[in-house]
Amino acid sequence: MTALLETRELSRRFGEVEALQGVTFSIPEGAIGLIGPNGAGKTTLLRVLLGLIPSTSGGASVMGQDTSLHGLSIRERVGYMPEDDCLLPEMTGIGFVAYMARVSGLPKELAFSRAHEVLQFTGLREERYRKISEYSVGMRQRVKLAQAIVHDPPLCFLDEPTSGLDPQGREEMLGLIRALSKIGNHSFVLSTHLLPDTEGLCDQVLLLNAGRRLASGRVDELLAVKNEDRVVRVKGDPSRFVAALSAKGLTPRLAEGEVRFTLLQGDTRPVFQAAFETGTEVRYLGRSVSTIEDLFLSLVNVVPVGPPT
Amino acid sequence: MTISAPRYGSLPFARTERAFRVLAIMKREVVRRARWGTLLAVGLSYAIVILMVVFDAEFASFIGNLTTATFEAPFESPVWPFLMLIVATTAGAGTIAEDVGNRSITLYLSRPIHLVDYLAAKAAACASWLVIAAVGPGVVGATIVAALGLAPAAVCLASLGAFVVVGLLAAVFFTGTALAFSSLTNRSLYAGVGIFGVILSLYVGAAVVAGITGSVYVPYASPVTDLRSVALTVFGVGGTPDTDPLASALVLLGAGVMLTGFAYWRLTRVEVVGE
Repeated sequence: MTALLETRELSRRFGEVEALQGVTFSIPEGAIGLIGPNGAGKTTLLRVLLGLIPSTSGGASVMGQDTSLHGLSIRERVGYMPEDDCLLPEMTGIGFVAYMARVSGLPKELAFSRAHEVLQFTGLREERYRKISEYSVGMRQRVKLAQAIVHDPPLCFLDEPTSGLDPQGREEMLGLIRALSKIGNHSFVLSTHLLPDTEGLCDQVLLLNAGRRLASGRVDELLAVKNEDRVVRVKGDPSRFVAALSAKGLTPRLAEGEVRFTLLQGDTRPVFQAAFETGTEVRYLGRSVSTIEDLFLSLVNVVPVGPPT
Repeated sequence: MTISAPRYGSLPFARTERAFRVLAIMKREVVRRARWGTLLAVGLSYAIVILMVVFDAEFASFIGNLTTATFEAPFESPVWPFLMLIVATTAGAGTIAEDVGNRSITLYLSRPIHLVDYLAAKAAACASWLVIAAVGPGVVGATIVAALGLAPAAVCLASLGAFVVVGLLAAVFFTGTALAFSSLTNRSLYAGVGIFGVILSLYVGAAVVAGITGSVYVPYASPVTDLRSVALTVFGVGGTPDTDPLASALVLLGAGVMLTGFAYWRLTRVEVVGE
């Protein structure tokens, strides 16, 4: 099966800044979360995948097509919702989306009918006839989403789609993306630094930090790798508890009053033995990695892990 | 606000060719540039040139001295080239600068077009306005003269051809200039000041420097002088122009092409999306 997105030692440098450093991954189609803090290289990666900028070294392919050779063909089949406010303010919503459809290759009549459909889908009804300059942030985000899907691309790159939205607007935008993912064979890449946005929405993730890949693959597989990681909160002196755990061959870390460690063969007995020996009381014992956010935090400043890609 | 279930699926349609996508951008850009400054300069070009052509033709016809050279009159004064410069400034300054400034260039380039397609569309839109201002008035003027029976049809037809040649040359040069300056900044105001200032400085500066030094090469630096030299020859006016007409035509053509190439190079350096 051909990977939807694939890179091989992909690097991109802007002057002295290395935005991407030897990134290698392979992801099949589906709902993909591209996760990382600001400056992680997410937008640069999307630009390379769209064929907008060349890589400094290494290569990338989208739907089996090399980005350095087939940029035009890739952009015919990919929709892009940029992070920036890049709309044409003097146009109406319907005029803008139809215009973008025409630039994407749709005949005039079809462009307008599609523009109406996608604006209806994104929740812009009568507002579509108003000028974009009069739109709220939420409405502008909806128009950006509409222009990205108007030409019916099988793959969409959504760059920070919830940026600047209030909680209700964010939920509505995520709802739209969720609905989008259920249509036919549409895949999307949701690029975000807001990790909760991807929870329950993405079945695969690519985690980036400082231009490097931290992990990539199916969310359930990645979380399973971290299945043995635990967090303990104790009542009493946590430093003595940590020392006792260390004496039992574990490698605990104390941070912000919590003790984190990895179980040995799933055995939790050393935890309670250490508590008994140090006179502390275990108030909480649970998995330390149960969400994508936990996974990301556990991987920052750690060597890349994850299932083979 | 509710979320509607999407009503669309896969679209089994044949997409249009790239040329149609370029045409779509060009058409919108032409409409977008129809601002009051552009329309005023174009309107003045038509009014002044048509009046000059018709009155000169009537006078020349009256004294029995009407030739194609009569139609060259609009190029005798710098007014028409000055109006072309205004059109280049108002219609061309923002053509790339505005897209870079509001980052809509990202959206254009994320579509199935190449950078050269984008530039071609922008150039064609700017050139359209310049052709309207640089070719149209002379053509309309010559047609009116023919319609009024002030000159033989053959003379009017030859003049019409001459207006097209000189006007197209002006359009190529001013389009290249506008694109080059527009690609240098993300503020259309700066680009406009650059276009207007440089062309005007070259016109005045070249005349002054040529007067002081007596150099025969310095006048080539003035696009207005080049345009007038070409016009004198194409319309068959006697006398010796300030510059060699063929060399001037090549200077205008070459500068227009090179400046467009410069704009392309600049666009390849533009960061299409902020990190």
